[in-house]
Amino acid sequence: MSSSPEAAPSPEFLAEETRRYHHFITLALWLAVVTGAEIVLIFVPVSMPVVLTVLSLMSAGKFFAVILWFMHLIYDKRLLFWIFVAALALAFATFTALLALFSVDVLDPKWIS
Amino acid sequence: MSETAAAHDAPTSTGIDHKKLIMWLFLASDCMFFGTLISTHLLYRKLYPSGFTDAEGHQRFIQNLFNIELTSFSTFILLMSSFLMALAVSAMHKGEIKSFRRNVLGVIFFGLIFLGCQVFEFTHFYHQGLTIQNSVLGSTFYVLTGTHGTHVAIGVLWLILMYFYSFTGKLGGHTGALDVEVAGLYWHFVDIVWIIIFTAVYLVEYLGPNGFWGTGLPAVTK
Repeated sequence: MSSSPEAAPSPEFLAEETRRYHHFITLALWLAVVTGAEIVLIFVPVSMPVVLTVLSLMSAGKFFAVILWFMHLIYDKRLLFWIFVAALALAFATFTALLALFSVDVLDPKWIS
Repeated sequence: MSETAAAHDAPTSTGIDHKKLIMWLFLASDCMFFGTLISTHLLYRKLYPSGFTDAEGHQRFIQNLFNIELTSFSTFILLMSSFLMALAVSAMHKGEIKSFRRNVLGVIFFGLIFLGCQVFEFTHFYHQGLTIQNSVLGSTFYVLTGTHGTHVAIGVLWLILMYFYSFTGKLGGHTGALDVEVAGLYWHFVDIVWIIIFTAVYLVEYLGPNGFWGTGLPAVTK
């Protein structure tokens, strides 16, 4: 921001904010469309792995769209992005580890006998 | 990073305002917290796919309990509240306090609608026999969605306080814009968590004739 806390925003800053405003409107429309598509998709008679993959991709797309634009990560310092991605990686690693831990029942018995 | 953002670096060693950095660190920790809750729910759905037993001793399946129309509506409401929050932050950066108030009122209203939908859903599930105590499904479902709902409630309270604070004339300038931005980060985080919950907890239950996890009953062979 400006050095003076109460200084009026510069014309460049206002132009940037106006540009972001249009991005937000576009993004909100896309989010609504993708959510609608997700709901339709679950009733489409396609094989489950295909639907699950597409649903996961759509969900991930919405997730990253919100953190990048609405949460300003695309405009902010990269450090903030990496802090969040590191936490996300840890959360995903926890999920993968738990999944592996609780999947011992599907192991071939010859490996544990 | 854009030139405009570079021109507005905070006078700190990282170039990031401390309040914003702290909020991102908190959100990172909350991300791991929700990651654990979502993982727990999914793992127990895999291990105990049979649903729950109601008060009359009947076996019930979650697929018959969920109301996709209601959940889709509340998801849409939360997404649009996130959009209004982005507009509120933008208005505050431009020093347009009236626009900020208008948008924040919209966020509060949508947040309350979301909470109303969740209360309705929980009440309906409870009357159908799904409680936090009678099944693993009930425990993980209520803890996960209840924790998210608590986050939404805290966000609504925070924004109500911020709305009234804006009338004191103290919410202005760079500090005020930063305070609103930090509250906005929290609200958007609540939204992204719901994006995952909506897919991982609700939508997957509609895949295939018996949901992604099945019913836990032996397959019928001809």
